Amino acid sequence: MIELRNVSKIYLHGSSEVSALKDVSISIKKGEFLTIMGPSGSGKSTLLNLVGGLDQPSIGEIFIDDKPIHNISDDELTLIRRRSVGFIFQFFNLLPILTAVENVSLPLMLEGISFTKIKPKAKELLGKVGLEKRSEHRPEQLSGGEMQRVAIARALITNPAVLLADEPTGNLDSKTSEEILSLLKYLNGQGQTIVMVTHDLKASTYGTRIIKLKDGALSEDISIGGNGK
Amino acid sequence: MSLLNLLRFISLRHMRLQKAQTFMAVSGICLGVAAIVSIGIINNSILFSFEDSINKVTGKAVLQITGAQSGFPEELLEKVQGVTGVEYAVPIIDTHGILVGGKEESLMILGIDVLIDHQIRSYSLSEDNSDIPDPLLFLAKPDSILITNRFAEREKIKLEQKINIQTVQGIKTLKVRGLLNPEGPAKAMDGNIAIMDIYAAQMAFGKEGRIDRIDVSILKGETIESVKKRIEDALPKGYNVDTPEGRTKQVEILLSTFQRNINLISFIAVFVGMYLIYNAVSIAVVHRKKEIGILRAIGTKRGQIIRLFLSETLVIAVIGSSLGIGFGIFLAKSLVSVFGQVVSEIYMRTSVNEISISYDHLIKGFFAGIITSIIAAMFPAISSSRITPISAIRSVPFSEDGFFTKKKLGIASIFFVVCAVCLFLQYKLTENNSYFHSSLGVFVATLFILIGLSLATPAFLKAYLLFFRRFIASKMGSSGKLAGLNLQKNINRNAVAAAAVFYGISVFVSTAGFMYSAKMSVMRFIDNAVKAEILITSGHPLATTGSKNIPMPLDMLKEVEKIPGVLQADPFRKLYVSYNNRRTLLLNIDVARRLSYSSFMVVSGEEKNLSNILSNKDNVLINEGFALKNNIKPGDSIVLPTPNGQVSFGVAAIIVEYTSDIGSILMDIHTYQRYWKERLADTIAVRVKDKKNSEAVRKAIQDKFGNDRKLFVLLASEFKKEIRKIIDQVFVFNYMLNVITLTIASLGIIVTLLASVLERTREIGILRAIGMLKKQVSQVVVLESMLLGLAGGTLGCVAGIVNGWMTLDGFYRSDFGASAQYFIPYASIIWAIIISGLLSAIAGIYPARRAAKTNIVEALAYE
Ligand SMILES: Nc1ncnc2c1ncn2[C@@H]1O[C@H](COP(=O)(O)OP(=O)(O)OP(=O)(O)O)[C@@H](O)[C@H]1O
Ligand SMILES: [Mg+2]
Repeated sequence: MIELRNVSKIYLHGSSEVSALKDVSISIKKGEFLTIMGPSGSGKSTLLNLVGGLDQPSIGEIFIDDKPIHNISDDELTLIRRRSVGFIFQFFNLLPILTAVENVSLPLMLEGISFTKIKPKAKELLGKVGLEKRSEHRPEQLSGGEMQRVAIARALITNPAVLLADEPTGNLDSKTSEEILSLLKYLNGQGQTIVMVTHDLKASTYGTRIIKLKDGALSEDISIGGNGK
Repeated sequence: MSLLNLLRFISLRHMRLQKAQTFMAVSGICLGVAAIVSIGIINNSILFSFEDSINKVTGKAVLQITGAQSGFPEELLEKVQGVTGVEYAVPIIDTHGILVGGKEESLMILGIDVLIDHQIRSYSLSEDNSDIPDPLLFLAKPDSILITNRFAEREKIKLEQKINIQTVQGIKTLKVRGLLNPEGPAKAMDGNIAIMDIYAAQMAFGKEGRIDRIDVSILKGETIESVKKRIEDALPKGYNVDTPEGRTKQVEILLSTFQRNINLISFIAVFVGMYLIYNAVSIAVVHRKKEIGILRAIGTKRGQIIRLFLSETLVIAVIGSSLGIGFGIFLAKSLVSVFGQVVSEIYMRTSVNEISISYDHLIKGFFAGIITSIIAAMFPAISSSRITPISAIRSVPFSEDGFFTKKKLGIASIFFVVCAVCLFLQYKLTENNSYFHSSLGVFVATLFILIGLSLATPAFLKAYLLFFRRFIASKMGSSGKLAGLNLQKNINRNAVAAAAVFYGISVFVSTAGFMYSAKMSVMRFIDNAVKAEILITSGHPLATTGSKNIPMPLDMLKEVEKIPGVLQADPFRKLYVSYNNRRTLLLNIDVARRLSYSSFMVVSGEEKNLSNILSNKDNVLINEGFALKNNIKPGDSIVLPTPNGQVSFGVAAIIVEYTSDIGSILMDIHTYQRYWKERLADTIAVRVKDKKNSEAVRKAIQDKFGNDRKLFVLLASEFKKEIRKIIDQVFVFNYMLNVITLTIASLGIIVTLLASVLERTREIGILRAIGMLKKQVSQVVVLESMLLGLAGGTLGCVAGIVNGWMTLDGFYRSDFGASAQYFIPYASIIWAIIISGLLSAIAGIYPARRAAKTNIVEALAYE
């Protein structure tokens, strides 16, 4: 359902060029829990950002559900981000001025749906990630793990085709990390496709397939079985 | 819908949280709108009061015939009465006197023909004697006067009481024969109006055999136009036959320079308001960069972001504009009488105490506030949409790469400055072509200089900080180093704060330079024109054309010269004449006598032999303003209406002459007497034989005339002091403008620093955690603020000098008709630098306290 064909990404650093990705082709199936690993600077985040439509490839093609997300207008790409993917970031990236439930509702508010209509669903999702009692709290009143759960709930509210997570546990202690990873595994068990970048070897074991990057190129692709179809 | 969601959940919360920013934006719009509204209302009220007075005094007259201010021969009355279609034509003396004693109030004095005036105007007396059918018959005795009830109450005057009125013939004692109810003319001029018999008025005010105006009503079935035409045909050329509305128009023209100058203030206020909005939105964009990145990452379109910022601005604009209307009305109410006084002093008698609100101006102000805000918010809003979604993911601070890159800024800055130079060159080079030679171009050029140099603030700030760090910071310890570093990190944003000061200071310095140069030029002119040691005036110390001056008979000259110690006494008479349907000042002096001890400042034309050319000849001198407005060169001739018809006068030369902003013509007083048949003087300039005796001679003059009339006998130095006072009065609005812009500049600094402090919360937290004292933190922030202020102030001085010089050339010349030399206002520049340093240090205090209060744990905990 996600298809990368000969994707390269070149950053311009003044006059010099940095090839962050070199001719990468991957195909991710529905229901997979893919973890991307590799040393720092190997292009993991770059790859994830391209899949999520945060950035555009320099060369190559990317499809989500057979729809191209390369060479399309910014507005079209924005709609892909809004409707087809859900993001979870290392630094949570919640809006500090919104409460947990408002943060979760935000993607649907962008569609013009009124908050009162979204609220029940947002609360339900917060329940699902174990935060029913925290829905009226603002990010600064939450712990790191709790913030990340809010971020997961926000990513899920649009029923996205794929959940993208860039080092979601990078800022959390090991116990909280395990909780978050279990939650992701649980979601994957319910059929949610997930792509996760991580440094943590242990974290990668939660997934169904591991991809390793080295200097912007694909170096290993290991399937550990599971839900992948 | 999605917009409403964002507006409600995000923008409104920010507005509440960022109180200082919201306050700045709201007050920026509020001030701009208030300026438009109040100035509109004040203009309107002044005009309305003129119109109102004219209408009340006009009564049933539909046409009014006026000539020169000196009045015209009575014989014309019969001619007008003979014109077909004329129902009544009544003569009027329209002049003013001053009540001696009491509050020394100035009175409009109407001399009327008691037998027929009631056909045009209605009068009613408060203590009605029913056996006397017509109240005007009270006036049959020549020492009678009617005053209004209101005036009588104010001055505590009773019926049948004798009052003293200063007239041309000295102090006259008159008996109050009746008190007028507030009805008809008695309602005009706030009650400062008195009625006399026309014959008595002619005698008292030196207008024997002459009248000032004829009021005409027409027969049923006749049209105003056709009767007007017939009257015009029956009269010699040069008379104005006008409807009351037409006379209001004349007033409008007379006041046009004044009104344009105060309109300029509202324009600048709007410009400054726009800058504030730009500033507030820019800061909001920088401040909310992360938020925008997140919103973009989770699927907010570019257009949605732009619309979000624009609608935020709209909300603020609606609030600010609404408050601005209220504040504008308040300002107008509190300032209208001040403005009215200035107009009265300088232009024409009026009394404005009430404002007349015109909904036009309210609506105009409201929408101007909203539209300019949206335009100002456009740039930062567009730049906000360029923030990439990736920026949400990267937690590292971002390099600033907003809408304006350094290169673009540089190009834009140079572009504006070059445009300004071109505009100004165009202005200078088309001096002889009045069509292209417009002060509007100069005004735009000054705006371009402001914009151009403000775009250069980042570059300037950079160089300035390099200098500071190399030469000064090392002597100031760690605070100095830190402040320099902090400022350097975010040049572009800090430049916005510096630009706020830049605007304030440049307006301050340019008006200071303009005023200083104007003052210097006028004083130089006065020094040249006033060589006498003593000046005698009556009614008003400067004998301005306003409401208080009372001319003196020319016979006084000989009396003055008889006083021991007096060398000679020269007359000066000024009055309005109409040239090309525009009021122009006609100045009359004894040219031969003046030239015997002083010369004219000739710009072009004849310089030698002026005594022969002018004395009792049909030749005149004109000032630069008059020459410019009417495109006249030496050697041309101009046709002026005299009481005896049109006369052509040769223009001998163009001279420097600053008496008025409407253009002036200088004539030998003998020529004037020959055509105008009037023997009056507004000022008598007395030269003494021995300067040491000036004081004694002054006393002798005062003693000789003091019983008969109230005179101002001023030494030249006192006279000049009075002139300085008047000049300051003219510039009072410019001072107001300075206060406004400096206030706004401080607001700009506060908000920028606050944003920068908030953004550095984490950094400040770290510094505090590793042992920086609260005091040190605030020191750094205050120091930063001061550095920014001084940078903006320095650049502002440069722009201010350039703009002051251009303004002087562009406005002073066409308005006051004078080439004035530019003087750099050094004192004001030193003040400007001090003010910019001080104000910005003060503005830094609040952000500094916020910074010092930073909670270390919170700052480090949440990123
Ligand atoms: N916006 C950018 N501009 C220039 N170069 C970039 C940019 N983003 C990434 N790069 C470069 O691309 C390469 C890959 O970066 P990327 O962020 O994908 O690495 P990563 O594998 O996610 O590393 P880490 O594990 O440290 O997060 C790096 O060399 C980085 O310097
Ligand atoms: Mg990364």
